[in-house]
Amino acid sequence: MPDLSIIFDAGVVGLRILLPIYAIVIVYQCYAAMRRRRRSEKPLVTLCNTQTGSVIPILFWENSIGRSKASDVVVSDLAVSRNHCVLLRRSEGWFITDVGSSGGTFVNGVPVEGRAQVLINDVITIGSTDFEFRRGEEFQAPLRSSWFFSKVSDKPAMKAWKLMLMITLFHFFMAVEATFWNDGSNPMSPMVLFGALAAVEWGFFTVTYFALRRVNFELESLALFLTGIGVMLLVRQVERSAYIQLIAAAVGMVMFCVIIKLIEDPDKISRFRFPMMFVAVGLLLTSILFGKITKGAANWIYIGAFSFQPSELVKIIYIFIGAGTLDKLQTKKSLLEFIVFSVICVGLLALMGDFGTALIFFVTFLLIAFMRSGDIKTIILAVAAAAFGVTFVLRFKPYVADRFKAWRHAWQYAQAEGYQQVHVLTYIASGGLFGVGIGNGFLKQVAASESDLVFGLVAEEMGIIVAVTLALSVALLVIYTRAITTRSRSTFYSISAGCAAGLLVVQLSLNVFGATDLLPLTGVTFPFISCGGSSIMSVWGLIAFIKAADERTYSIKR
Amino acid sequence: MKRILRRNTLILIFAIAFICGVGYFSFELIVNAESWVDQPYNAHVSGSGGLEQAGVIFDRNGYILAETSDGVRVYNENPSVRLGLLHTVGDNSLNISTAVQSKYRSQLSGYNLIWGLNMPQSMRMSHDITLTVDAATCAAAYDVLASYGKKGACVVYNYQTGEVLCSVSTPGYDPADPPHIDETNESEYDGVYLDNVLSSTYTPGSVFKIVTSAAAIENIYDLDSRTWNCTGEKEIGGNTVTCTETHGEIDYKTAMSRSCNIAFAEMAVEMGRDVMNQTAKKLGINDTYEVDDVKTAKGHFDVSKADENQLGWSGIGQYDDYVNPMQMAILCGAIANGGTAVNPTYIKDGSGDLLRLIGFKKPKEHNLMNSTTASQLDEVMRYTVSDYYSSQRPGLFEGLSVCAKTGTAEVGEDKKPNAWMVGYSQDQDAPLAFACVVENAGFGFEYACPVADAAMKAAANCLRNGG
Repeated sequence: MPDLSIIFDAGVVGLRILLPIYAIVIVYQCYAAMRRRRRSEKPLVTLCNTQTGSVIPILFWENSIGRSKASDVVVSDLAVSRNHCVLLRRSEGWFITDVGSSGGTFVNGVPVEGRAQVLINDVITIGSTDFEFRRGEEFQAPLRSSWFFSKVSDKPAMKAWKLMLMITLFHFFMAVEATFWNDGSNPMSPMVLFGALAAVEWGFFTVTYFALRRVNFELESLALFLTGIGVMLLVRQVERSAYIQLIAAAVGMVMFCVIIKLIEDPDKISRFRFPMMFVAVGLLLTSILFGKITKGAANWIYIGAFSFQPSELVKIIYIFIGAGTLDKLQTKKSLLEFIVFSVICVGLLALMGDFGTALIFFVTFLLIAFMRSGDIKTIILAVAAAAFGVTFVLRFKPYVADRFKAWRHAWQYAQAEGYQQVHVLTYIASGGLFGVGIGNGFLKQVAASESDLVFGLVAEEMGIIVAVTLALSVALLVIYTRAITTRSRSTFYSISAGCAAGLLVVQLSLNVFGATDLLPLTGVTFPFISCGGSSIMSVWGLIAFIKAADERTYSIKR
Repeated sequence: MKRILRRNTLILIFAIAFICGVGYFSFELIVNAESWVDQPYNAHVSGSGGLEQAGVIFDRNGYILAETSDGVRVYNENPSVRLGLLHTVGDNSLNISTAVQSKYRSQLSGYNLIWGLNMPQSMRMSHDITLTVDAATCAAAYDVLASYGKKGACVVYNYQTGEVLCSVSTPGYDPADPPHIDETNESEYDGVYLDNVLSSTYTPGSVFKIVTSAAAIENIYDLDSRTWNCTGEKEIGGNTVTCTETHGEIDYKTAMSRSCNIAFAEMAVEMGRDVMNQTAKKLGINDTYEVDDVKTAKGHFDVSKADENQLGWSGIGQYDDYVNPMQMAILCGAIANGGTAVNPTYIKDGSGDLLRLIGFKKPKEHNLMNSTTASQLDEVMRYTVSDYYSSQRPGLFEGLSVCAKTGTAEVGEDKKPNAWMVGYSQDQDAPLAFACVVENAGFGFEYACPVADAAMKAAANCLRNGG
């Protein structure tokens, strides 16, 4: 029966060609949905200069007012301080806070102490300028919106449940491919895993849609799409890890919801700062005291059959503590508290000796310090200090230096330090554009293929198109995050979302380029796809910040 | 909020840097994919599983050397062809890394960047390759070489086009039935995976007199009027240099044809270390040649630290001189070609875009000597055959006007010498250069000459019949 086998083979090849196209469509649909269902670009309120009669539109939820050119509302009046006051919108109405101006801020002639409410038609006095607080409709001129949201076609976004259906179908195709694995053993196991995955996906969707009554689900859809691919890839490798990964992802989804709930009111977040710091230090101390040493790094805690990396969770707390609302950012003169906390964290990490985690932490520190202060000089100083530190690490921890030895010379050390990288390159090239099929790859026999080298695993089994599409889908979150920055309900959200997105891209770069020998191999995970319970939990936690920065998350309910 | 937006640009730069990195990686992938795939550990193409999809390997006349039939790799039905071309074609074990089936297995199996190695077996597009070798010539050379039961090599190539017609290495085994080599039988199969034509070096003995001659032609101005006195042995530099015969008063031409050690040892000493080193360097003795992605084993000649006696011995291919058979064939090809050698190749053609996939390029040329030196060497090597060899062995190289030199290289007290013969034919319809070596066999004329004779006659026959 040779003809039948050819038809079967053609079907297998057809499926492999279909999946990359399908993956691109799904990622496109997720991003298309992010652009739609936005409020139109209109001023929330306006400030009318009583002397000149000019009308200034107030566009953001939090606005800095001052003489500085970087202020959201620039007042060119010598009696106004560079950073004079902050005008904020909260669910209770509009408020104004003086941020240590020399001349003070007045509402209807009364000096502002702390946060003062502003009502329509109130007069705000800043320096020698008077503004009348008016409704947004007063301003008629058209406003330019971010390119991400402009020129969106009128066609409504794909319904959330339809997108979810497409994603589930993609995972189903992966299960089909895995079922027709070369040696044909355990034909049922991919389908059983798919069942469990679909249950988690739709469970999460149901909770979000009916219990939390969210209108938009595209960020979660993208995350579920990636998470599901990571889980399905494991079925032909270490089936047990696939289930652990799925459970961890479910926990991550719960964390995602909890974090969003926790940071709902940006003014109340500061109450959690100190408890969170203690939790973070506690987590790091636990891994030093009880951690098992693997590859020279005491980073893992074993609880029964489960292993856990507490430092992954500390990342989230770190961003949480680093971000803040605009009035707090402008009043607080120094980063001192944050820097002390950072030094403690980095010190504990140094004791652990995990180079990859320390690197990610350092990047998080830089990102958040920069987002808070905008001070490039501090950043350069910190990088210089870190370079100094790294030189010491390389001197005293030779196994770390070995990783650098093979960097860009992987073929020279193909049997030693470059072993993993050259296998990744060979198997990526062997996979071609469409891959050899789930479970047919050989990279899975190389150590850490499911985590550090997962980009190669995806490229070999599903083709380079899928691998690049997945990588770009994570990297493009930055574009989305940037587009929603000025529409966030507070700088707390835009700062934390920016850091989270930046961190995802840094992790992604270190993972993808580390495996392919463009950067040293540091053992950092690929967001969502790399196998690792604490890693998947932490990325779900990170995207909670991005989700929270989208104003639709809190303002609109179904 | 505007400030935060501006600071967010930093993160945007990260993302753009990432996208650029992905672009750069894609570029690297496109450029290097084939070499990345072609790794010995690549499980997608290793073992006979990789060769199941490989295309047909033809000889220059279209005879099938290896093909896949019903998922099984089968080799030529003639055992002499199978064994003679083992090191050129390869076997299922892929242990012979320089063989075509090993080095080009991914391309033969139909690898390309778009499909990778992912096609199910029924749908793979394999490629066929046509080699320049002639199956009949290789079989003829193999039969003679294998009859000695020694390690050895024989290569014949067209010095005008670079096409290798015959390339045989012993010992070998039947690729249709590769041996399982373990501790009990490893001595029997010692060196079996090595292609001696490309990857071995041997003490050259008297064939090295070609190099010494080249030096003498360019540096001893009254060479043709000079004579040497051979008494069978002579003290040079405080120690003796021996000759196989007592030649008496002997001129340069006769010294070459009768292979007089004394004359050539004295020439080497007279010219000195620098001239000898320079000539050896110019003739490429210490170099490697790249033949279809395989680097030939480097020869060795260095007399900078030799004393006078050792310098004398070095001039007759002893001391620590080493040469590779392919390298000697190239040197002979250069003499025949007026000083310029065409780099050899085993590849004639390929189906589809195979030649592009394996990165095949037109053979390069190497300028080894000037045309005057080449023509004088040509004259003296022709004289060696017509004056001496032909009279000793009637019918030798019948139908060809061959220029050649034999060698009998001493390799130690308890071992028989290496038998050598290198040379070329002057015929325009059969422009062939050759090198034959039989390790630890005996006299060059007795052991290497019959192999060269069989190979040259068969190769000339092939070319003259339009092959």
